[in-house]
Amino acid sequence: MRPAKYICSLVILIVTCVGWITIDNRYFRPRPVKFIVPKGWPQPAYDFSKNPLTEEGIALGKQLFYDTRLSRDGNFSCGTCHQQFSAFATYDHPLSHGIDNAQTTRNAPGLFNLAWQKEFMWDGGINHLDLQPLAPITAENEMGETIENVIGKLRADKEYRKLFKAAFGDEFINTQRMGKAISQFVLQLVSSNSKYDKVMRGEASFILPEQLGYDIFKKKCVSCHTEPMFTDYSYRNTGITLDPFLKDMGRMKITGNPKDSLAFKVPSLRNVAMSFPYGHDGRFFSLMNVFEHYRKNMVVNAHTDSLLSKRMALSNFEIGQLTAFLYTLTDSVFLKDPRFAAPGFENNGKPPMDIHQ
Amino acid sequence: MHINASAVLQKNITLVFHHQINNKELVLGDSVTAPSGETITIERFKYYVSNFSVTDTKGKTIRLKDAYFLVDESEPESKKINLSLPDMTIHSINFLLGVDSIRNVSGIQTGALDPLKGMFWTWNSGYIMAKMEGVSEKVQQPGHRFTYHIGGFRHGINTARMITLTLPQNNQTPDQIFIVANLNQWFKSVHTISIAKTPVCHTPGALAMQFADNYGTMFSITPIQ
Repeated sequence: MRPAKYICSLVILIVTCVGWITIDNRYFRPRPVKFIVPKGWPQPAYDFSKNPLTEEGIALGKQLFYDTRLSRDGNFSCGTCHQQFSAFATYDHPLSHGIDNAQTTRNAPGLFNLAWQKEFMWDGGINHLDLQPLAPITAENEMGETIENVIGKLRADKEYRKLFKAAFGDEFINTQRMGKAISQFVLQLVSSNSKYDKVMRGEASFILPEQLGYDIFKKKCVSCHTEPMFTDYSYRNTGITLDPFLKDMGRMKITGNPKDSLAFKVPSLRNVAMSFPYGHDGRFFSLMNVFEHYRKNMVVNAHTDSLLSKRMALSNFEIGQLTAFLYTLTDSVFLKDPRFAAPGFENNGKPPMDIHQ
Repeated sequence: MHINASAVLQKNITLVFHHQINNKELVLGDSVTAPSGETITIERFKYYVSNFSVTDTKGKTIRLKDAYFLVDESEPESKKINLSLPDMTIHSINFLLGVDSIRNVSGIQTGALDPLKGMFWTWNSGYIMAKMEGVSEKVQQPGHRFTYHIGGFRHGINTARMITLTLPQNNQTPDQIFIVANLNQWFKSVHTISIAKTPVCHTPGALAMQFADNYGTMFSITPIQ
């Protein structure tokens, strides 16, 4: 059938042409990426209209996130202290290690669901996600670099000029573009596939201890660790004592208000089993230490949060069930997602092998 | 009110900033006597100006195009600011010493506001509106250094100050307007501040507000030089 053959060839020709046009566009125009809000979650706080997500922007952000050249001595990247297998906290470290054998002053928080967060750091001192990377880059005990030097290093690098062009249309590199690109990558870090999430979506069910733990959680914890983010993003004094070496007054450092003395941001409990130690300075090594704090060790004073004015009654039984529930917040899909892994580690997403075993 | 810029005749003028202490031109690194009687050597002096507008003789104020400038004593070119004004008889020129709150809460800015200029706090988001650093023998700090990084944009601790300068009235807008910043005002004007007693200001708050009240009075227009 000649007409059929003719039509068939024409269709193949058109498909090929369209294919080529699409390929061409890939080189010249960043490909938009849609930010997906998990079902039932609130709308994000981040203004995506000011920084539209693209595949190229995210790729550049990931490159920057894992680039140790952002530090003065070339040893520290964002990913050095924000490790995927620990939900992007520093695994097993109360305080992270910075440049020249320095210690940081606070426990590196996990990085996930940042699109819903309006203020950053344990004291909320940073008011925009794009600005956040500038703090560790310039901190003398973290990456120890100046913004000017970082931008200089990026501008001198041919590969980066290409990546910035792909993401932003031209080779120009400045602080704003660097911040936006890093934001594009870290905004991808959405953790919404824990067992808890599956139960909420009706795809799984809790075993008995988990369900009992969830019931206790809803009675005793949820007013600060609000679902679905497992934090209400407020700053609260939970009856911790001042560390005499760090002398960290928390939120008061930002507001100057004595009422905010020793108040720190309520951390999300998502992936909590993977992100020990706990507390702003990592003083709680285990979940058990945290429970002991709330039921026994708290120092209640005038600035202590009113919800904790009588500490928190917790029986050993309740602690056991709560622990079972908290383990359901571990999102193993997120912890091993190859899209977020350090370059070269895309295929395992596991912690490095312990050579001492 | 909104005025279509292209519909109004424009006149280009230059604001020329002079920094003076004890009625003499400031020279970075030179020792001078501060109003408090203390001997000081100023090594750095810079500040933001923005949000320019002009008021005509009938009291009508027209906002100029959005622009932000970092005036830096160590960079002579930064002390000359070119503005495009509507061609009318101008009674006064108004600007903000500092950066408005919107730009303090909108992520990373570009140009003069790029955080790499060293006028932005990374740990407590916000611009340093004005910065003065130097040395004074009586200061009990490393290297006898005093460092004033004045910032804070929130209500109650806002260190930006609106400046209004009335032009000499001769029915003509000059091509150049010479503005003097008198550094003595930092230490003795609305508040009297001792450098030896308060050598460091690095956070928003009460002391920063005192400096802001003081530097809010430092500008004046001088006759053409």
